[in-house]
Amino acid sequence: MPSTSRFHRFSISDRIEHWLLFASFTLLAVTGLVQQHVDWGVYGAIIRFFGGIENTRTIHHIAAIVLMFETIYHIGIQGYRFFVLRKSPSILPGKNDAVNLVQFFKHGLGLSKNRAEEGHFTFAEKLEYWAVIWGTLVMGITGFMLWNPILTTRLLSGSIIPAAKAAHGKEALLAVLAILIWHLYTVHIRHLNLSMFHGKMTEAEMEDEHPRALADIKAGRFDPRPDPATIRRRQRIYFPIFAVLAAAMLAGVYFFVAYETTAVATAPAAEEVAIYAPYTATPLPTQAPTPSPVPPTITPTPLPGETPLPPAADTWQNGIGELVQTKCGACHSAAAPMGGLDVTSYQVALKGGSTGPGIVPGEAGTSLFVSRQTSGKHPGMFSAEELQRILGWIEAGAPE
Amino acid sequence: MSLKQRAILMIASGALLLAGLAWAGAQPAHAQDPGNDGCLACHGQPGMQATLPSGEVIYLTVDAGVYNASVHGQAGQACIECHPDVDLQAHPKGDTAWSDLGVRTHRDLSSLLYRDACVECHQDQYADNLDGVHQQAIAAGDEAAAICTDCHGTHNITDPRQPLSKGSQMCERCHSEIYELYKESVHGGALLGEGNGDVPSCTACHSVHDTQGPLGDTADSNFHLSSPELCRKCHSDTALMAKYGLTADVYDTYVADFHGTTVAVFEKQAPGQETNKAVCIDCHGVHDMRKVDDPESAVIKENLLVTCQKCHPGASANFPTSWIGHYRPDAKRAPLVFFVNLFYWILIPAVLGLMIVLVAIDARKRIADRGKKEHQHA
Repeated sequence: MPSTSRFHRFSISDRIEHWLLFASFTLLAVTGLVQQHVDWGVYGAIIRFFGGIENTRTIHHIAAIVLMFETIYHIGIQGYRFFVLRKSPSILPGKNDAVNLVQFFKHGLGLSKNRAEEGHFTFAEKLEYWAVIWGTLVMGITGFMLWNPILTTRLLSGSIIPAAKAAHGKEALLAVLAILIWHLYTVHIRHLNLSMFHGKMTEAEMEDEHPRALADIKAGRFDPRPDPATIRRRQRIYFPIFAVLAAAMLAGVYFFVAYETTAVATAPAAEEVAIYAPYTATPLPTQAPTPSPVPPTITPTPLPGETPLPPAADTWQNGIGELVQTKCGACHSAAAPMGGLDVTSYQVALKGGSTGPGIVPGEAGTSLFVSRQTSGKHPGMFSAEELQRILGWIEAGAPE
Repeated sequence: MSLKQRAILMIASGALLLAGLAWAGAQPAHAQDPGNDGCLACHGQPGMQATLPSGEVIYLTVDAGVYNASVHGQAGQACIECHPDVDLQAHPKGDTAWSDLGVRTHRDLSSLLYRDACVECHQDQYADNLDGVHQQAIAAGDEAAAICTDCHGTHNITDPRQPLSKGSQMCERCHSEIYELYKESVHGGALLGEGNGDVPSCTACHSVHDTQGPLGDTADSNFHLSSPELCRKCHSDTALMAKYGLTADVYDTYVADFHGTTVAVFEKQAPGQETNKAVCIDCHGVHDMRKVDDPESAVIKENLLVTCQKCHPGASANFPTSWIGHYRPDAKRAPLVFFVNLFYWILIPAVLGLMIVLVAIDARKRIADRGKKEHQHA
């Protein structure tokens, strides 16, 4: 049975490249797309899964570095195949691909019985390959701008940055959707092609997808491998050249990644201002004790031979009680006897407060009333005249 | 009666006596209310003052006119309702009493009299205040942190919302430098100058009693990080913004860009996180934010580079134009972005459309062929 023979399709190196591309592309796509709509629930959950937005960006950057390394490796391998092994660059699009595309339509629509005569790479594979090349270029260039906006805007207008961001996002969307539609269908759905795992294809698979390549192999038409001496000679030229090129490209990756520190790590204080800056308290309006204006006293000149009458004696009932109640009653009343003192009547007034009798008849010197008033510290104060009058009253025995 | 029984009896009667005294001591204030006139007989006299152990002179006069015009005076509140601890039997006690009360400074006295006086009637405000920065500072030992009366006053309390500027002027007493900045800002100018109630006062952003500030950050809340939500409240209100000819897109366009994306995710997923990404106030100013066309605005074209350089020290002249400025990218504002978007809105459907057509043709043909093959086999 011819279908049991297996044909070489991908080398180990090809397969490693594929899986590197697969891993970096997937990580880039997931960690990148979620940044476009952080408010979407699923995207938010993915960001959380990657350890937050900053971690998600770091992973995106690491995946980008992997893709850059893979790109350098790919260039090296393809260069080796072309310059050293002199294999024909069958991945380049040619006239055949246009013919195949037309044939694909004709056959698919039932206008022709013959299927497209696909070679080693089908037009579908070439479309995907060059789409990846285009996408990697666009993403690399716009990604560089977003990674190094300060350097970019030194050379270009600032508006290139939001444009790069728009292109980076839209190109990503295009790439992901193209992979989901095109790659998934052609490689996984129409029939499961596992050649990226084991590197081989069956004859039936070859017949279905690469009929012209199968015919070429069977007819012995393929690029002959150069003899070892030729390979060694070409290697001696190719390796140093690629080493220099690779070193330059690696330096470029380092520059890409590490050149610019876009922003400070810790944001400066948004405002430098003393939070607590009280106004100096206005000095309290202490009122200087203004002496009440003393009305001019008119002392009537006594008429010769006339003796002035002595003033009427003060008693509690006659003046003193009223004076004391007016001045002291607010605090020392029956309702509110502060300090236990109540001056509402002669009897209780004489009894005094909690610290003892305020009025000791005949003994102004020992009366608490007098010492309190003369100390000047009692809240309510009598005027000097009133005080003299009360002192006289006490000395006179404090008559009721 | 044994010695033990006698001892118990003595202790019990002693305890009873003490309880009785305590009860009696708790009663007399109300029983002997001298009335406001009684207090004002002395405290209404001008020039009443006392000297505290610290040497500070305090003024004990209460202006009856001012008190009667205050909210409490209007409500007929009695002096002793806020000053229930006045011992009328022993009042006034004289200068020696200060040390007995543990009062040395004027601040000691204010704290003693007022820190917990208002809670009797204003429980909600008091409870809110416990969550605020001022109470946190007091708890941490900062005696200067505001208590109720520092903002509201004492005997002269009036409605803090009348006029509208009054609330912010309360804050001014301790936060004068910030107030000076705010006064010159677009918000402060409108509130203090025109009495405009649409603009935020201090408390609109910092809350009233559970006052929050940038120093009150916890593992669950970071004022810097959550501040865009404050701005959003008004600046995403289409009707309000239309009144002043402003766009209501500022928040959405902010979140769509790098700064805002990070901040929005942090705010949601790690609200206590510090970030080096700019929030509204980092570019527009904190308390001195101005109209964007004000020559002193931090974000007017002439000043923008300096503002960017605060976080991007290497930024050069072209750098600020990388920010579209809260506009949705249209052909006029951001032609390059607009045309990139347009390019992809053509390219994406074109490429995907072609692929879908190819897939559909191939799939249809294969299904048809398989059917034919099975038919032939059958």
